[in-house]
Amino acid sequence: MAEDLILELRGITKIFPGVKALDNVKFQLRRGEIHALMGENGAGKSTFIKVITGVHQAEEGQMFLNGREVHFKGTQEAQQAGIAAVYQIPTSYMELTVTENIFIGHEIIKNGIIQWREMNRKAEELLARLHANFKVTEEVGALTIAQQQMVEIAKALSTDAKIIILDEPTAALTANESEELYRIVDELHEQGVSVIFISHRMEDMYRLAQRVTVFRDSRYIDTFDVDAITDKDLIKAMVGREITDMYPKPKVQIGQEIFRIENFSRLGYFKNVSLNVRAGEIVGLTGLVGAGRTETFQCVCGIEKPDSGRVYMNGREVTVKKPGDAMEAGIILLPEDRRRQGLIMSWSLCDNVTLPIIDKLSDSKKFINNKKEYELSKKYLEDVDTKAVSIFDKASTLSGGNQQKVVVAKALAQDHMKVVIMDEPTKGVDVGAKSEIYAIMGELAEQGFGIILISSEMPEILGMSDRIYVMCQGRVTGCLDRDEVTQEKILELAMEQSQSGREVS
Amino acid sequence: MQNKSLLKKITGSREASLVIVLIVMLIVISIFSPSFLSPTNLGQIFRNNTLTMLMALGMLCVMLTAGIDISITSTLAFAGMSIGLLQKYDVIHNTFVLFVIGALIGLCCGLLNGIIIAKGKIAPIICTMGFMYVWRGMAYVISNNNWASGQDVSGFSDFGKDGSPGPYIILVIAYVIFFIVMKWTKFGRSIYAVGSNPEAASISGIKVDRVLVSVYTIMGLLAGLAGVLSVSIYASAQPNMQYGKEMDVIAACVIGGVSMSGGRGSVVGTFLGALIISIIAKALPLVGIDAIAQNLIKGVIIVFVVILNVITQRTMDRQNLLRREM
Amino acid sequence: MAGKSGRTISATPKGGMKEKILSLEGALIIAFIAINILGRVLSPNYNLTNVMRESPRYLAEIFMLFGMGFILVLGDIDISVGAIVCLSATMGCLSSNAGLPMGLAILVTLLTGLCCGMINGFIATRFTELPTMIVTLGTQIIFRGIAEVSLGSGGSASLKDYEGIGILRVKLGPIPLAFFLIIICAVVFIILLSRTTFGRRLYAIGSSKTAAKYAGVEVEKLRFICFSLIGFLAGVCGLFILASTYGANTTTGQGFEMEVIAMCVFGGIATTGGKGNLVGAFISALIIVCLRIALGQINMNTQLILVIIGIMLIVSVLVPSFRQKYLALKK
Repeated sequence: MAEDLILELRGITKIFPGVKALDNVKFQLRRGEIHALMGENGAGKSTFIKVITGVHQAEEGQMFLNGREVHFKGTQEAQQAGIAAVYQIPTSYMELTVTENIFIGHEIIKNGIIQWREMNRKAEELLARLHANFKVTEEVGALTIAQQQMVEIAKALSTDAKIIILDEPTAALTANESEELYRIVDELHEQGVSVIFISHRMEDMYRLAQRVTVFRDSRYIDTFDVDAITDKDLIKAMVGREITDMYPKPKVQIGQEIFRIENFSRLGYFKNVSLNVRAGEIVGLTGLVGAGRTETFQCVCGIEKPDSGRVYMNGREVTVKKPGDAMEAGIILLPEDRRRQGLIMSWSLCDNVTLPIIDKLSDSKKFINNKKEYELSKKYLEDVDTKAVSIFDKASTLSGGNQQKVVVAKALAQDHMKVVIMDEPTKGVDVGAKSEIYAIMGELAEQGFGIILISSEMPEILGMSDRIYVMCQGRVTGCLDRDEVTQEKILELAMEQSQSGREVS
Repeated sequence: MQNKSLLKKITGSREASLVIVLIVMLIVISIFSPSFLSPTNLGQIFRNNTLTMLMALGMLCVMLTAGIDISITSTLAFAGMSIGLLQKYDVIHNTFVLFVIGALIGLCCGLLNGIIIAKGKIAPIICTMGFMYVWRGMAYVISNNNWASGQDVSGFSDFGKDGSPGPYIILVIAYVIFFIVMKWTKFGRSIYAVGSNPEAASISGIKVDRVLVSVYTIMGLLAGLAGVLSVSIYASAQPNMQYGKEMDVIAACVIGGVSMSGGRGSVVGTFLGALIISIIAKALPLVGIDAIAQNLIKGVIIVFVVILNVITQRTMDRQNLLRREM
Repeated sequence: MAGKSGRTISATPKGGMKEKILSLEGALIIAFIAINILGRVLSPNYNLTNVMRESPRYLAEIFMLFGMGFILVLGDIDISVGAIVCLSATMGCLSSNAGLPMGLAILVTLLTGLCCGMINGFIATRFTELPTMIVTLGTQIIFRGIAEVSLGSGGSASLKDYEGIGILRVKLGPIPLAFFLIIICAVVFIILLSRTTFGRRLYAIGSSKTAAKYAGVEVEKLRFICFSLIGFLAGVCGLFILASTYGANTTTGQGFEMEVIAMCVFGGIATTGGKGNLVGAFISALIIVCLRIALGQINMNTQLILVIIGIMLIVSVLVPSFRQKYLALKK
């Protein structure tokens, strides 16, 4: 073998009930390299990581560590073999101290007694290595997200890991904090640690990685050298086709302003956000995760209470005190997290679609009119072309893309809808369903609805929007027209650095 | 940074604030009744609340995992009644053996709770509510409307009679063991981990189910021990003994800073909480409040402390947001 | 917007009546019949007249069943109901003894229950961080504590106005008033939960509070209503307890919360929220009442009955949990 591989996986297949999460996937990690793992949501990256770290066991395939075949039955075994991971889900223990978080599961023990002093000392050493500026005796819950992430990295280092896996480490970080993380990863690299990291940001990859492997739809696609690759190639590998035909944006005659928000503020989340939408217009709203986009519209729609802010529909102010008020006014939100916020997963499609309008189906407003309910939900579910057998199928049985269509049907069923706010509508949706959702979006614009598309995915924002607002650290930093917009301009506005280095949670 | 550590010091050291509360309380009470702080009186307070203090340790573990156990006094009654009857019908009179039997009965009850809660994924309140009536009922059923009187348990009650150091010794041993286990052993820390973030705990290789079963088993064991002690201290065994006192135990923990959502709480805090509850109960008549109002006041304190915790948390969150805003 | 693929989705409900009868409700009805046969075998006095005569003692709890059904469907729990029964019966008894006309005393009883429920609801909806288990565990001690203080050192009070309370003991033909009211309540609440938009929203909240909120359901308002409702129904229960025992003491209503929750769970309402209906709960309530009457007639220890109900509660929550595990394994 010519290459010095520290880790190699071949033919890995992992099946969850009903889904093939990984299909004959391979992966090679050279000693001492930083290797990016990219792919769309649902491509199987996180599952793959969990197979490496022994959280999941693969049905098929082999894993070689330093050329020797290994089988991890649990995380402890992987840990002992020198593999540590920083997961996407928060695995911090908020109530416990930094030291404890670092050493949980592998405490230093003499005669059955935990050696706190020694552990504190070692933890301090680790934090010093990461140039962290907090004490080991602090409760992790009192730290910022970036600091918590450092604790997680220290935890990985504490096991003397030779391979460290970072799952979306920069997702919740500000620009400054990301820089800090890059520095840490660089240092680890210099110390001879091999790093695998998953990220959605091209920037992370260019900045850190030597090689990048792309997964798509649970399959391995290709591995590239970062120096020899362009954005276009990479995106093509990730989405499986040229992106130009992805966005069927129709030419629409844009009408009068129908929706405007002014000076929306909420302490700690966003400040003085104002924007407007015209009939038939698709307005993009982008920015880094944590910029306050989702939070703003949660307040606009009455889910959370803003400190200040006014909403105008067709020039007239409307008061939104609760979600029902926004719906009444015709402002419909398609929330970001459809499994938790958008749908009731244990309910049938029909019940989900009719929930917001259940009292409008009967004359009495009190009793449920089943017949009407069935007719209506069938109509709207078919309108958006949901792949389902019956309206009585449970929402949880559908794929991500089809679930999203049900959410759209649910919005359409509210017949007085005027403005649709789509928060990350294609997150975790497969490519085919994605373009269908874009098509629906286009049709809605043609029918004269105002659309706000909140998204972190640059191609989607560029491809669909007439106008693009960019938010950074809770403020709108700019508004770009379709013809003047470029990716660079957006990034510039999205990463506008503030003096304070705001913390985001 | 400086601000934060100050804030943390105030909110973080629950024990310190409890000690202050305790001292203030004692001063106020001594003004009303100077004899309150006499050694005999203090000894009485400990003796009368041995059971609460003992079971509070188990409740600490259970609540650290975000659970609750309201079946404890029923387990206590069942175990206590059993050993009372063993003496009444002259089966066993050996104090040590009786202790072992009582503790084992409690342990089995707790184990059953633990298995059902951990393996069956049943809400702890539901499961223990069921057993609360089952074990209490069983105590009545085995007693067959009799009870073990002072005469029946005469030799045995020497262990817990007024002036005997027995209950104190058990209490001290239990607290020392728990203090060490909860702070210095892997098992103790894994209880905290499970309560703080079960998902992460299982990724860290902690057997969450096993920890859950253990805490309820420990709780049962302590409740069984408390049952034996109760018979010894009060020199009788009745099926309705310590009825409703599980609320005292929960109150002790809540006042002592044990979080109902898991992951937070300490042995020292629990002890102080139990002490405060005991002193309140003893001091009410002294400050002119009818003893009948005891329960009412305990209830008010529990609700007040629980709500206060929420408000403190909200204020802290808001502080964090303000800092972020700068 | 025309469907591009022209795909159609079926809108005919699956499963006919047959499946429904074979379901939990069917099983419960069979159990109900079995209990009645058992009663007949065990006790020679077990017949319709006697059951009707003895039922009011046991029926009072069933009023709370409907409220508890709502609360459990919401994904909440209320373990203070036993204490509310105690407090409202105490207040009713004391206010009548203090010279209030019976009509007003009845009103006091009901209002006490309602107030307690509203207090629970207020805390539960204002401090949503707190699990309702904790809230009601705390208020339970307060409610019973107030009753204890009001009852004074004796710990009990007996009603002086025997005749006045008699209006609650009237019979409509052979049917006692309590029984009659319960049937009416059953019909109203079963329809409310299964056929109305209100009920549908309760299920939405119990299935996913967040999704319900996003869909425009006023989560906290509905939770407040349900807590107030169960408080009021506990007041009704307290009233009938007062009418059948002519008094109240500190142990009145003890264990009612467990029994009512057991009836609900036994009838297929999940304590995790969003599942089950009142039909099953109501049948299982009747089963428990018949069981108690039969066991009471053969003088079985009342504590043993509590043991049986406790075991029933635990087994019936375990069954769906293990069934799920089994189904997951089979997959």
